[in-house]
Amino acid sequence: MTGTSPAASVEVAGVRKTYGPVEVLRVDDLRLRGGEVVALVGENGAGKSTLISIITGITAATSGEVRIGGTALKNGDPAHAQELGVATVSQEFPLVGQLSAAENLMLGRRAGGGRVVYDRRATERAATALLERLDFSVPVDRPLSRLSVAQQQLIEIAKALGRDPSVLVLDEPTSALGPVESQRVLDSARELAARGRVVVFIGHRLDEVQQVADRVLVLRNGRLVADLAPEEATQEAMIRAMVGAELTDLVGELPQLAAGAEPVLRVDGLTAAGIGPIDLRVGRGEILGVAGLMGSGRSRLVHALMGAIPLGGGSMRLDGEPYAPRHPADAVAAGVGLIPEDRKHQSLLLDAPVRWNISLAALPRLARFRLGLSPRSERKFTEEIRQSVKVRCASQEQPIRTLSGGNQQRAIFGRWLANRPKLLLLDEPTRGVDVGAKAEIYRLIERSAQEGAAVVVASSELEELMELTHRTVVLARGRLVTTVSRADYSKQTLMAAANDLPES
Amino acid sequence: MARTTTGPVKRQDADEPPAGERAPSALTEFLRNQEIGVVAAVAVLVVAFSLANGNFASVSNMQTMGVDLAQYGLLALGVSFVMLTGGIDLSIGSVVAFSAVWGAWLNVHVGLPGALAIAVVLGTGALIGLAHGFAVTVIRVPPFVTTLVTLVAARGAALAITKGFPIDGVGTSFSNLAQLRLASIPVPALLFAGACVIAWFFLERTYIGRQVYAVGGNAEAARLAGIRTERRVVLAYIVSGVCAAAVGVLVTGRLGVGQPSIGNGWELNAIAAAVIGGISLTGGSGRVLGVAFGAILLVCINSGLVIMHVSPYYQQIVLGAVLAVAIVTDRLRARSSERRQR
Repeated sequence: MTGTSPAASVEVAGVRKTYGPVEVLRVDDLRLRGGEVVALVGENGAGKSTLISIITGITAATSGEVRIGGTALKNGDPAHAQELGVATVSQEFPLVGQLSAAENLMLGRRAGGGRVVYDRRATERAATALLERLDFSVPVDRPLSRLSVAQQQLIEIAKALGRDPSVLVLDEPTSALGPVESQRVLDSARELAARGRVVVFIGHRLDEVQQVADRVLVLRNGRLVADLAPEEATQEAMIRAMVGAELTDLVGELPQLAAGAEPVLRVDGLTAAGIGPIDLRVGRGEILGVAGLMGSGRSRLVHALMGAIPLGGGSMRLDGEPYAPRHPADAVAAGVGLIPEDRKHQSLLLDAPVRWNISLAALPRLARFRLGLSPRSERKFTEEIRQSVKVRCASQEQPIRTLSGGNQQRAIFGRWLANRPKLLLLDEPTRGVDVGAKAEIYRLIERSAQEGAAVVVASSELEELMELTHRTVVLARGRLVTTVSRADYSKQTLMAAANDLPES
Repeated sequence: MARTTTGPVKRQDADEPPAGERAPSALTEFLRNQEIGVVAAVAVLVVAFSLANGNFASVSNMQTMGVDLAQYGLLALGVSFVMLTGGIDLSIGSVVAFSAVWGAWLNVHVGLPGALAIAVVLGTGALIGLAHGFAVTVIRVPPFVTTLVTLVAARGAALAITKGFPIDGVGTSFSNLAQLRLASIPVPALLFAGACVIAWFFLERTYIGRQVYAVGGNAEAARLAGIRTERRVVLAYIVSGVCAAAVGVLVTGRLGVGQPSIGNGWELNAIAAAVIGGISLTGGSGRVLGVAFGAILLVCINSGLVIMHVSPYYQQIVLGAVLAVAIVTDRLRARSSERRQR
């Protein structure tokens, strides 16, 4: 152990985090020592991000204490965490697009040039030296916005490593990287640990976790459920710990589908940026799940089906008719609807009334003489939908911003169900809604299938797919790796498929 | 599936949807409007200026104000369309000047009949708007930059056509439009009133108008809901270009010459009127009623200060102060609506 003055360590004692009555994290005693790469794994919502953000001071714990190198961290104070030597590489990189890679790398530090004058040469020299030491090949003189996402990710990682942190937190550092760069990043993580620092690594790709970690912590429902040594941490063991005791008969019955009917949606060899070629069939009344790790192309697939991203090759048929949407408007006209993942940015007109939000996709249909919009008939239309999807609000004129997440999401369902879509595409349909509202949204999804829609649900929550869907296709790195039918549902199967493991 | 709330075992949750949505009465709807502030300000100003100086409310001053209002108001109305989509149109003052001399030149030097020259000018305004819309949506140049180019270039074109001198001898079609009165109301004021009604109908009573609001409110959400957002944006710039061209025609008619130096800085008055009237600077909200009264407010301030012999330099300061109040109100409104979020 060379060079570090106080021994690097992280101690978590009696930390709890609750939101209202819900306890999302409870870690009684966890010690991370310098010199180890600790991998943190768990399903979505298992509490990985919460634990990390408490350690890095971004979130304040409800109770308990975190000590970094023996010093107690001021609860919820990210600046203090940085002082104590904690550096984080998050999935969203806070970089400055207009500045060059070198300038971003040296941001907040000074290379040569004295107090006032900025020395571009010295900055670039220092940046190049750092990148060479890490063996990252990124051009340093170009504006960051002209680098690829992978190169930006490397800059972000190099920036964190350049501060020579005593604790380095890597939140899915390789999700944007190809195999070669991933390897470099994992090597530098190992090297940092070898110099006596703590490296915490959140990973979804279990093969990488296996390769890099000295210790694997598994979180489930906010608790630490396993602390595995490398030799114990087979991918099967990690998956078993992540999903817990599996009750296969938890999977209930769904309505049977008419066999042999012509599918509503046929997709053959579809490609688009980052996905494909993909073949799909979705039948009338069928709910098809799309599973896959982060970055596997789930969202891209549903956006491609909506015409929201440019299509590459392949062909699609909707109800037997050729279907090649170049714009979401084409998709809507053909009877397709999309409920995207990010409600605030992709669904809602936040400051507009509930009424506007509900009627948005049906406006041309509501119009008289293909133009005029009568307030009375729009209000009546909205009121019918609002009651049918049970949006609770004092008035349809109130801004939708004032409603709860579940109510907002129901309003968005209303927006599309009013169109009686042939094909309904859902991306993380229950993100950010509470448990009660979740069940109601499931009923809405089932109802639209019963009314004859073909439904595609992309979700990162396996329970959701297992409860809702007839079949699930699993994507990995943009390709469809397997299809699992409801009879074979288990978290193990789905998760193994998403990790692209051979059949176990 | 949907349980109605009219059953005998009606739940009494505060959460439960109310049984049926009644249309709010016209009066309560008006009182709820954010436009009430600017309407009240106009009322107060008119009374105050009238009491301070009898000339303010005289017929001849009202008629002058009516013509001024048509100029500012049409520009404000046009730029409001662009602002509703989240953009800005800085070019309109220069487009006024260009249209003024372009119409005069076509009429005097090419010999086009007045009506035809006016039609060509309006068409040219539409083309300028189309170019702006194309640059903003397809080439993705920010609206500020796109229209700044035209601000400079259109003024240059106006000067180039005239070599800097006004064009004399414009036909009667122009002056009729700008100087005639119907029942002692100036025709431009009537035109402005008509434009307001059309704009109101378009924005609040047609689905395309609603889609314009949606694009400004959240462009990505609008796109994913199947709205051709680019077309709505292009349309807004075309409306703005045509309005500016129409004001150019009115100005030439009023002056009787094609004057290349006219309209300098008018874009700022128009944007100020729109903002004072409640058009949000970030797009997606604001109404025609507010814009109309925002323009009326500006014209009243200008005219009232002139009548009271306040120096023109001070008028600018007053205008700036009013604009500052409007912008701060806009931000406070946005903040309070964000705070209401749970």
